[in-house]
Amino acid sequence: MVFTIIAALLILAGLVFFFGAAVGLLRFPDFYARMHAAGKGDTLSSLLVIAGFAVYQIGGVHDLSHDWPLLLVVLKLLAIVVFIYLTSPTSTSALADAGWEDGIDPIIEPGRENHLEDDLRPPQP
Amino acid sequence: MKAKIYASLAVVITGAVLLYAVTDFPNFGDPHSPANAGVKGGAPSASIYYIENTYRDTKVPNLVTAVLADYRGYDTMFETVVILTAGMAIFAILRVLRRDEDTEEAAPVDRSIDGDHHRIIVGITCRIAVPLIQIFALYVVAHGHHSPGGGFQGGVMLGASFILIALSGSLSDALARLGESSFIRLACIGIFIYAGFGFLPLLVDRNFLDYGALAGLLMTDGEEMARSHSMLGVEIGVAMTVMAVMFAIFANLSTRGRLQGGL
Repeated sequence: MVFTIIAALLILAGLVFFFGAAVGLLRFPDFYARMHAAGKGDTLSSLLVIAGFAVYQIGGVHDLSHDWPLLLVVLKLLAIVVFIYLTSPTSTSALADAGWEDGIDPIIEPGRENHLEDDLRPPQP
Repeated sequence: MKAKIYASLAVVITGAVLLYAVTDFPNFGDPHSPANAGVKGGAPSASIYYIENTYRDTKVPNLVTAVLADYRGYDTMFETVVILTAGMAIFAILRVLRRDEDTEEAAPVDRSIDGDHHRIIVGITCRIAVPLIQIFALYVVAHGHHSPGGGFQGGVMLGASFILIALSGSLSDALARLGESSFIRLACIGIFIYAGFGFLPLLVDRNFLDYGALAGLLMTDGEEMARSHSMLGVEIGVAMTVMAVMFAIFANLSTRGRLQGGL
């Protein structure tokens, strides 16, 4: 029962972040802000939801000698968590990098343009 | 313009022939059609035979693999040949074998990712991911007759891992690991493995692709286990062909057939 409640809380938290990611993707003003919402929200919410699944599976283990296949499922879910943790931020980074090299300008607060030094951007053809 | 007219004619004629063939299809929901055979009141069916007898015949728990690689192995062999043909067509259309002076040695590619903040994140992640992808692909191939998977799926994953190397680093990185002569050879060897498993039973007066005849060669307990092991063998052949052709198509398409520079 405890495991079920923890799992439900984790999945609910994941859904909240999914909702935030979707709203951000639709409402944010420029490419980088939308990437930020999609990348971060998506990664964290996927991790939370899958971690919730794993906790739920652990809750089903009563007798280790009999229920060990459930632990294998937990291991597979944790492997998925690790792979999402590695690859999702990487693809977000690669996409943002591609946008930057393509010359997409972020929206910047007036007076703070100096943060974007020109040497970060490769010379435009 | 003329080419367009001929191409349109070919498309229209092919479409008309296909539409004409549609009239031979059974009616929707026809209990006597092959797809519905075996249901109550339907025709006798091959699928019922597969469902009831596959494990007894082949000792393979995954019916889909058994039907694909054993019962209908002839079909699958030529599906693999179709993939090889697609690769050969890409090669024939795109590959530039003439040595142009201006594209030759265009720019020596820097393989190091140290200090390049644009590539270091993607490069390191792919270095971690690619070996795991390849190990999982080998598992999918080897476990294809016990769980979902098989030669086509595992081969696609292997090919995708090489494409990932090419995308994250450079095409020359990937070609250093799987060069052009290697992937052409692998594609053909895969077909030869499959066809070899088909031809071996002919030597002992059995039918083409009748794997049960290989029981003595594979030193198995009975014909059933020989069929199971032969399925693994042909899946390995399929995986080799699919991997090689996937990567060959990517390498040729991304460089317009020059296999230099690229994305």
